Amino acid sequence: METIISSPSLGKPGFLSDLRALWAVVHREWTIFRRYPSWIIALLIWPLIFPMLYILTARALAGPDGSGLAIFMKTTGASDFIGYIVIGTTVWMWQNIVLWDVGFSLRNEQMRGTLESNWLSPTWRFSYLLGHTGPQLVSMLMFITITALEFGLLFHVRLHGSVWMILLTMLAAIPSIYGLGFAFASLVITVKEANAFVFLIRGLVMIFCGITFPISILPGWMQSIAKWLPQSYLIHGMRAAAFSNAGITELLPDLMPLLAFGTFWLVVGYFTFLWMERRARRTGAIGQY
Amino acid sequence: MEITSLSQPSLRTQLRALYVIALKDWKVFWRYPLNAASNIFQPIIWITPVYFMGKAFSTNGSALGFAAFSGTGDYMSFILLGTVLTNFILTVFWGMGYALKNDMDAGVLESNWLAPVSRLLILVGRTLTSLLTTAITSLIMLVIAGALFGFRPTGNTFAALLTSLPMLVGLYGFGFAFAGLVLLMREANTLVDVSSFLVQGLSGTNFPVQSLPTWLIPVALALPLTYGLDAVRGWLLQTRTILPLNVEIVLIIIFMFLMLWIGTWTFYRVERHVRTLGTLGQH
Repeated sequence: METIISSPSLGKPGFLSDLRALWAVVHREWTIFRRYPSWIIALLIWPLIFPMLYILTARALAGPDGSGLAIFMKTTGASDFIGYIVIGTTVWMWQNIVLWDVGFSLRNEQMRGTLESNWLSPTWRFSYLLGHTGPQLVSMLMFITITALEFGLLFHVRLHGSVWMILLTMLAAIPSIYGLGFAFASLVITVKEANAFVFLIRGLVMIFCGITFPISILPGWMQSIAKWLPQSYLIHGMRAAAFSNAGITELLPDLMPLLAFGTFWLVVGYFTFLWMERRARRTGAIGQY
Repeated sequence: MEITSLSQPSLRTQLRALYVIALKDWKVFWRYPLNAASNIFQPIIWITPVYFMGKAFSTNGSALGFAAFSGTGDYMSFILLGTVLTNFILTVFWGMGYALKNDMDAGVLESNWLAPVSRLLILVGRTLTSLLTTAITSLIMLVIAGALFGFRPTGNTFAALLTSLPMLVGLYGFGFAFAGLVLLMREANTLVDVSSFLVQGLSGTNFPVQSLPTWLIPVALALPLTYGLDAVRGWLLQTRTILPLNVEIVLIIIFMFLMLWIGTWTFYRVERHVRTLGTLGQH
């Protein structure tokens, strides 16, 4: 006689329980974030010293009488070379931090040995990744605010545009920046040691997206590559919104590609995660490191 | 009861220890070939924005503003040379401290410390392979970056190499002191990252220090590295130096002895303190 033992799961997954799981991950990440206050020092220092290296180089290139600066202003159309550089370097830092934070979130959990047990809980697994994004966004907003305050107070960088337009451009860029982070997180969990990939992606942004120069100065083939990187549009849009008083109409050529890239990267990020999840279950490699 | 050690340290055994440490590091380095590729391409990636930014400051390919500060309009040769020297500086400056931190994390520091080998020798040994690999990767980087951006040294290479020697030896002194700090603090990553960035920036890796804001120039002039970088560039690129070349060389030699003395003294004091506390194996 065959006996069938039915063992129904005690978990009752539903929309509300998914939301609760997401909130639990957000809460945990926020607690960890506040537990190590040394980030305050980094938050105050990095926004200042990274752009400084390029700003001081720009000062040297300008010459003692500032004659080179006039050429730079003419080439770039910028009214403030410090602000011009700060926007480019801040976007680079944003993408860099997201790659390390969101990109390595699952990997860090794997290293702590908690990923496999979390994976077994009857929750929406994407919430592990999504939940990590919330506190990261808050810390990034603090980072950008501190950058603006420091350069405004210490270097007298002044806006000649609307703060709302800058925020709108940043908002349009969030899906592409974090979508890339999601895709990257799944890749990292698969290949484990992926520092070289971070160097590659942030290197692409550094070379092609015009963090300290206008893209028009690049050779044709490099400009073609720059068009495929959302960060190029983000830097251009933020500069236009901050220093050229660009309105929504002028920003549309940057906002539309940003939204298109955002949709693309979110879809890629989500499906890469699903692929990784299936692969992890098949190979049983989720707990290995 | 008299306790006699079985070890018989001599110059030969010390040299053998040095060789073994270097060989171990050599094997570890080539075990991760992606790191070697990263060492070559990272500096190129970092200076590419400067190359294009320089173009935005130039008329007909000539950076006249930069030339007015440094005496050369060839800003890419200036920066490339600074990048190569920085690679070596980082190797000696921070390499020993990082090596100690790695040993601490791997749990082998305490056992290494028990070996009948001079502790400073262990530290120096950890830099030998890095110096060789830095020389290899920097040379490849220079060839690639030279082809991409142009590298045109016009001066005396031998004199430049000779000038960089006391600078590197002096940096060992700083490295010893920093290694002591790592023993004490155990986690000094933020401190290292920030101070490394500041020292690199203010000693003129990417630009002549004369172009710094007036209030930062005294800070730059207080750093021994500033004179090392300036003198090497003076020899190799015939740039305008801050002080006459012979004065800069004398300063570098004085700094070399001073830094070695301070570094060794600091390291031994901290090391004794840590041994007394018994925290050597903790991390």
